[in-house]
Amino acid sequence: MSALLRRLMYFLDRSRHDADLRDEIEAHRAHRQDALERDGLPSDAAEWASQRAMGNVVLTVEDVRDVWVSRAVDQLWQDIRIAVHGLRKNPVFTLVAIATLALGIGANTALFSIFNGLIMRPLPVRDPSRLALLLDGSWSYPVWAEIRAREHDLFDGAVAWANERFDMSRGGQSAFVDGAHVSGRFFEVLGVSAVRGRVLTPADDGASAPDGPVAVISYRFWRGYFAGADDVIGRRITVQRRAFTIVGVMPPGFFGVDVGRMTDVMLPFAAEPLMRGQESRLASVDSSWLNMIVRRKPGQSLEQANAALRGVQPQIRVATMSGISATRVARYLTDPLTLVDAATGRSSLRSDFERPLVAMIAAVGLLLLVACTNIASLLVARVLARHRELSVRMALGGSRGRLARLLFTESLIVAIAGAALGLVFARWSSALLVRQLSTWESDVSLELALDWRVLGFSVALACASAIVAGVAPALGLRSVAAGEALKEAGRGLAGDRRFKVRGTLVVAQIAMSLMLITAAGLFLRSFASLNQLPLGFVPEPLLIAELDLQASAAPIDQRGPRAERLRAAAAALPSVRSASLSRVPLITGGGWGANRVAIDNGAMPVEDLSANRLWRNATTPGWFDTMGTPLVNGRDFTDADRVGAPLVAIVNRAFVARYQLGQQPIGRTVRIGVSNGERRYEIVGVVGDSAYTEPRDGMMATMYVPLAQIQPLGETVILTINADRSQRAAVEREVAAALTRTDPAIAFVFRTFDQFIDARVTQERLIAMLSSFFGGLALLLAGIGLYGIVAQAVRTRRGEIGLRMALGAQPSGIVRLVFHRVGVLVVAGLTLGLAGSLWAATFLGPLLFQVGARDPVTLTGAAGVLVAAGLLAAWVPARRAARLDPAMVLREG
Amino acid sequence: MGLTNTPSDLLPGTLELLILKALKPGAKHGYGIVEHLRVASDDVLRIGESALYPALQRLLLNGWVKAEWGTSENNRRARYYTLTAAGRRQLAAEHAEFDRMVSVIQRVLAST
Repeated sequence: MSALLRRLMYFLDRSRHDADLRDEIEAHRAHRQDALERDGLPSDAAEWASQRAMGNVVLTVEDVRDVWVSRAVDQLWQDIRIAVHGLRKNPVFTLVAIATLALGIGANTALFSIFNGLIMRPLPVRDPSRLALLLDGSWSYPVWAEIRAREHDLFDGAVAWANERFDMSRGGQSAFVDGAHVSGRFFEVLGVSAVRGRVLTPADDGASAPDGPVAVISYRFWRGYFAGADDVIGRRITVQRRAFTIVGVMPPGFFGVDVGRMTDVMLPFAAEPLMRGQESRLASVDSSWLNMIVRRKPGQSLEQANAALRGVQPQIRVATMSGISATRVARYLTDPLTLVDAATGRSSLRSDFERPLVAMIAAVGLLLLVACTNIASLLVARVLARHRELSVRMALGGSRGRLARLLFTESLIVAIAGAALGLVFARWSSALLVRQLSTWESDVSLELALDWRVLGFSVALACASAIVAGVAPALGLRSVAAGEALKEAGRGLAGDRRFKVRGTLVVAQIAMSLMLITAAGLFLRSFASLNQLPLGFVPEPLLIAELDLQASAAPIDQRGPRAERLRAAAAALPSVRSASLSRVPLITGGGWGANRVAIDNGAMPVEDLSANRLWRNATTPGWFDTMGTPLVNGRDFTDADRVGAPLVAIVNRAFVARYQLGQQPIGRTVRIGVSNGERRYEIVGVVGDSAYTEPRDGMMATMYVPLAQIQPLGETVILTINADRSQRAAVEREVAAALTRTDPAIAFVFRTFDQFIDARVTQERLIAMLSSFFGGLALLLAGIGLYGIVAQAVRTRRGEIGLRMALGAQPSGIVRLVFHRVGVLVVAGLTLGLAGSLWAATFLGPLLFQVGARDPVTLTGAAGVLVAAGLLAAWVPARRAARLDPAMVLREG
Repeated sequence: MGLTNTPSDLLPGTLELLILKALKPGAKHGYGIVEHLRVASDDVLRIGESALYPALQRLLLNGWVKAEWGTSENNRRARYYTLTAAGRRQLAAEHAEFDRMVSVIQRVLAST
């Protein structure tokens, strides 16, 4: 081994070594010249003679290099050849080993590359380490204007952006792409230049943009939407029904600053009023809709940047305070502004997926360990099977170290092949997994580059696998003594001692499998309980059309009548049972809340910003009927509840309970605080509870008001259609046609509650899916491992079993013997696995819903599944043992 | 002064044995080893650089000798080789093996 180390040292310092050698040979020559001169030769003759005597120096240097390198390479090559030969003699073993490792390493690498893309990769911009994000989400445009005015005093520039989904259609159904409004110096501050045309400039973001409304598109969008056309610059695109001129294409790999989101179309903030007209948010201090990133000055620490920003916070506060509602003034911008490191950008996915990803990487790491122990176990089995051969080799002088190296080379080759295949599998499966993250509300797109982190990770995995799989067989070698096989001469009772290594491996496998299966069971139960949650309405027949009333030149106060005409047109279709409007859709994670609520003459409380605040919706008559929510008391809204008529409200049972309205809620008054006073509503009806934000939040206290009493209507309104589910495609077509016919300027998009609910459980669905896949795989591997060791034991003890049977042992006794062996291993494994599961519970807890992390049912079930697998794995070889013909076995012996 | 001995003229491994033996009294540089062997063999063994240096490198590789740069008696830079503990053991072992080999060969040659 030390010779190997010296070879390595030589290899790392070859050039110095060669130079030393040349110096040395020259010194040799000089000494010879000195000797010749002492013998009386003149100096020049001595030099000539000594040079002639030296021979071919180049050849000598080559010979020396051969001593160090070629023999090492030769030996390695020989090891590889022997190992490959050994592996090819056993194709089934080799294929199973490589495939399980490829799956293990591939799944690990896939998850890690997602983790890397989402959490570790720095933004593809100039010097990302100097970027810092202004914390806590959203800011109003006036606050940004204040910071922009100071961007060079405080920092090396600042950018703001607001993500939007842009409708690219020219009419009818919307075709959304992910886009953003960005500040004029967005690209300049980030240091991103266009691959075609130019990036946006401050002039584009000004009041009188020289080129008119302009857009910059992503590289992907250019390749996809424009097929990479060379003349893309100057072409027009329609965004939210307005025409924009494309002035540039962003470089490939640049997705914006939101990791996980491909911002395909970027427009300056100046374009926002073009689309939203008088509802523009640019001047509003109440709309929080944009994010900010600053670039710190060189050498400016995060603390210094924070201090600089907080120094001007009072001025920013004062400058943007006018127009803030009285209740908010006290708290407005009083929390210290905070910048955090943003080298890796920002992502809304991180909070949802960081923990699950770590959990899944841990799970798949366990799976890889199970796979490695399986390979180790198989390799040990091969060592034992080659016991005789190895023993003879040793007797003939093969050193134990050399044999161990040979075995290790085998596992290394398997690991490298597995890792190479695994990388291919990872490329494919990580893209597949990322696609699973997309929902109706967000298209997830992640750069899954095979960068040095991912490659390093999989190389490390391959090495770790080789070590885990290779060490056990090398240890197994210890039981091989030189010449022992010759002395034994074939017969003899093989004791259990030799199987100790494999037994330990199987116990570890069962333990790890139990942990994985338990986790899978917990996640599945958690997912199931999420899906069984009551909604309070009947989602199956419902089709949602989200109507965009802003995409039209019609005046805002005409929105009510327009929406009603569209509703009536849909309701008139024969395939539609009923159609109703509401202000917000349910189960989309958010909604329309009320912060200040009082009943009758109760005192008006201060703001309530908790998740359990009162939720509101506005509906047309018949909406509860369309949704399938029962009316329990009082009446539904009627056409008489309109602007000018007394304000009325319908509340649900959760509302009655929360505000303690008792038996007689009808006729009581709800008061809602608004910026300039309060509004009073008379309760006219009570309906059943329904989920509002999302199913797991439970039934929320909700108040409904007539849509017709809201003036003016917001830019979108939800049309809920109740129709036969099996006819959905046809209904969609008919409704689309009816809507476009009624109002050619309308923009709309269809949704279903399946999409809404799916989007709320993406995380859980993914975890349940992955963990059951990993759990199943672990079970299979553990089964194979167990079967392997039992079958081997039975085969080795054929002679003993035959002898026992010849002496009168019953087949049932033999079966009991085998099962006893398996039982010991399984029980040991289960005990260890149970301890592991209980330990891991603290980590899993936060990922579970309505299932305890130490749920006894799941633990028992998982153990039961493993016991069943163990019985099956033992039953086959046990039966074979019980059917042995003793006479034959003894004759063979 | 020509090369009279190439490695193939000696039994395999013999040159290494001779070098180890030459180093036993103390450190020598390459030319010193050649001179020692020439004198000790009464001018019979004349080892060339093309045989000497690969052999020395094999000894280095096995950790039997170690090399250090120093200054020779006539004030030239030279690389001095010293036996290591492992080298001493190897010398003893190979010496014994060589004696055994030679006696075996002699016995074979003496038989009729």
